[in-house]
Amino acid sequence: MKKRRMSDQKRTALSAYLFISPFYILFAIFGLFPMIFSFYLSFFRWDGLTPMEYVGFSNFEFIFSDPAFFSSIKNTFLIGIMGTLPQIIVALFLAFALNSQLVRFRNSFRTLVFLPYITSIVAVAIIFGVIFNNQPFGFANYVLSFFDIGPIRWNAEYWPVKIAIASMVFWRWVGYNTIIFLAGMQSIPKDLYEAAKIDGATILQQIRHITIPMLRPVIMFVVFTATIGSLQLFTEPLIFLGRGLREEGITVVAYLWRDAFVYNSFGSASAAAIVLFFIIIVLTTINFLITSRIGKSKKVG
Amino acid sequence: MLKLGKVGLFSLASVVVLGACGGANDGNNGGNEEADTDANEEEVTIEQIGSEDADVELVFWEFGNTGYDVLIEEYVEENPHVTINLQNSDMNDLHDNLFTSISAGTGAPDISMVEEAQIGRYLNAQESFINLYDHDADNVEGEFLDWVWRGAQSGDGDFQFGLPTDIGPTVMFYRTDVFEEAGFDSSPEAVSELVATWDDFRDVAEQINEDTGKLMTDSGELVFNARRDQATQQYFNTDGELIVDEHDQMREAFDYTADLLNDGLVGDIPLWTPEWHSGMASGEYATMLAPAWMQGVIKDNEPEEGVWSITTLPEGAGNWGGSYLTIPAETEHAEEAYAFIEWLTAPEQQLKAFLGYGLFPSTPAVYDMPEFLEYEDDYFGGIATAQVFGEAAQAVEPVFKGRQYYPVDDEFKQAIDDVAGGVDPEEAWQEALDRTERILAR
Repeated sequence: MKKRRMSDQKRTALSAYLFISPFYILFAIFGLFPMIFSFYLSFFRWDGLTPMEYVGFSNFEFIFSDPAFFSSIKNTFLIGIMGTLPQIIVALFLAFALNSQLVRFRNSFRTLVFLPYITSIVAVAIIFGVIFNNQPFGFANYVLSFFDIGPIRWNAEYWPVKIAIASMVFWRWVGYNTIIFLAGMQSIPKDLYEAAKIDGATILQQIRHITIPMLRPVIMFVVFTATIGSLQLFTEPLIFLGRGLREEGITVVAYLWRDAFVYNSFGSASAAAIVLFFIIIVLTTINFLITSRIGKSKKVG
Repeated sequence: MLKLGKVGLFSLASVVVLGACGGANDGNNGGNEEADTDANEEEVTIEQIGSEDADVELVFWEFGNTGYDVLIEEYVEENPHVTINLQNSDMNDLHDNLFTSISAGTGAPDISMVEEAQIGRYLNAQESFINLYDHDADNVEGEFLDWVWRGAQSGDGDFQFGLPTDIGPTVMFYRTDVFEEAGFDSSPEAVSELVATWDDFRDVAEQINEDTGKLMTDSGELVFNARRDQATQQYFNTDGELIVDEHDQMREAFDYTADLLNDGLVGDIPLWTPEWHSGMASGEYATMLAPAWMQGVIKDNEPEEGVWSITTLPEGAGNWGGSYLTIPAETEHAEEAYAFIEWLTAPEQQLKAFLGYGLFPSTPAVYDMPEFLEYEDDYFGGIATAQVFGEAAQAVEPVFKGRQYYPVDDEFKQAIDDVAGGVDPEEAWQEALDRTERILAR
């Protein structure tokens, strides 16, 4: 009797493991193996065709002495901040507007605001390539000419490159974040706002004292996903700048991609990937520390 | 239990999704293995040509619109012991797949077409390809243009990677209306004489700019390309060492382009952008230094006949584009594969490919054939365009390009672009050199 139950339990366990095993098998083949292999590769010099040659840490020495690598890290953070910070603020206001009773056709607006998220990045990058065109008649330059600002070389100058790429990120993600915020806002009890209105609070005051504090976990979620997203920034700079990927706009992922698939230097590309891996670990740790603190303060409140 | 079921369902769903992606990728990477192509039917078209009970099946990867299927049918009729499994895919996909399969050591075809710009990547991978000299390729070597032949060769000249198919000799396309507006005779012979040297090119540019306010050409890139391709030494020597700063040909090409840019005679309209295309129709620039295959692009952008014409480049010609047929070492039928590609690249077949699909021949014997000489194009004012391109093809200087040619060339293009943006040429050159040295240090 007892034995029978044991085997029942075992059978349940076994079937559970069987159910989840395909994921782990596929992950091992397509996820774990490439990760371990790229770790291994980072100690070798390899062009993808000839035998690998062990070089110790020299790939790391190389990328740490390459100014373009530091530019890529700096770019990733700058574009990340320029793309996400305004985005979160705007998304917050958009979500507030969509949640309030003042706006008509709210459902249509909700759909519209989400649309950019589902467009192909390549299409976005091409359209923005037309907008941020170097020629005087390029859309952005044309608008700026009314303010007597000379034609800007959007794909070559230090800040313009970043502004162009950051605005692509902004445009594509602002709707996604708006919807997340909106979902969070709908869980805020309406009576808080009613009470505030009775006390004569303005809309800005409502946002500051009710919406933002109540939304803190959602804001944190959005900040984390945006951080991860901006660390993975790749397609936008690639399409906007072409395979050469100028130093002014290259991101870390674009840097390692270029090493591997343009320069055929898989060793240094892997080394860059390992460094990125550690950057992500550090950022995740910081994120984790902040989130756990929020949990504590919530309990106090 | 409910939770467990959900987890199971979720992982099952993700397996299905992942599996679907994985399957599609597999199909792409190893597209040659079987004709089972449910996932990638759109990207790769496969055609089995020849009798079913032939002794040897050759898998042949090609890209673009070559018309080789028609030629292959002719071949298998004469050689019934061979069938050819022709697989056409997108150019970039083909090169990615070839690189992956060569790198992995499995999955390569018996014959692969490789674009001229890509063949240099394999210079270090001699074990992965059949040396065509082992199959008496020296017998046919003389049939091809010297510079094309050498383009698929190791630095020491002992290893031949491929047989050339088509090429892209560069000429000067020009707008007859702009030349006339500036008071010049616009016939090809007159323009060829008028713009015989690069100094002439500059003088004419000034004149056109003064009289019509128009640009001489679209951007610095094609001017730099044209002068680069006329240099007998470019970025690397045959040992693969960087020499760009040790001879003056490249620096002259660079400074010449920089001067034209600084004087506003050349535009800053990057290739393939919408305004570049529309500039062809509206006549924003007077000339375009481009290869034979650019004809189609021009015809698409400016439908009116007789506006654009063709003449020779100042001081010679260059080449941009073209392909080779290689035999990866994995093949078990090297002999049959070689016999086939030798046949396919022979002058008679190249003439057919030219007349049918516009592939420009790499064998000069074709240039004397009557069908070739008679080929005229009403669009370009009824001149015998093939002859102009043929002359250009014979004027190209052979040069060893090296394994990292294209990424390095990209850095110097960026330098030209920087100059267009106002950077001091000396500084731009130096920065390009620094970046190049870092690429080579990897």
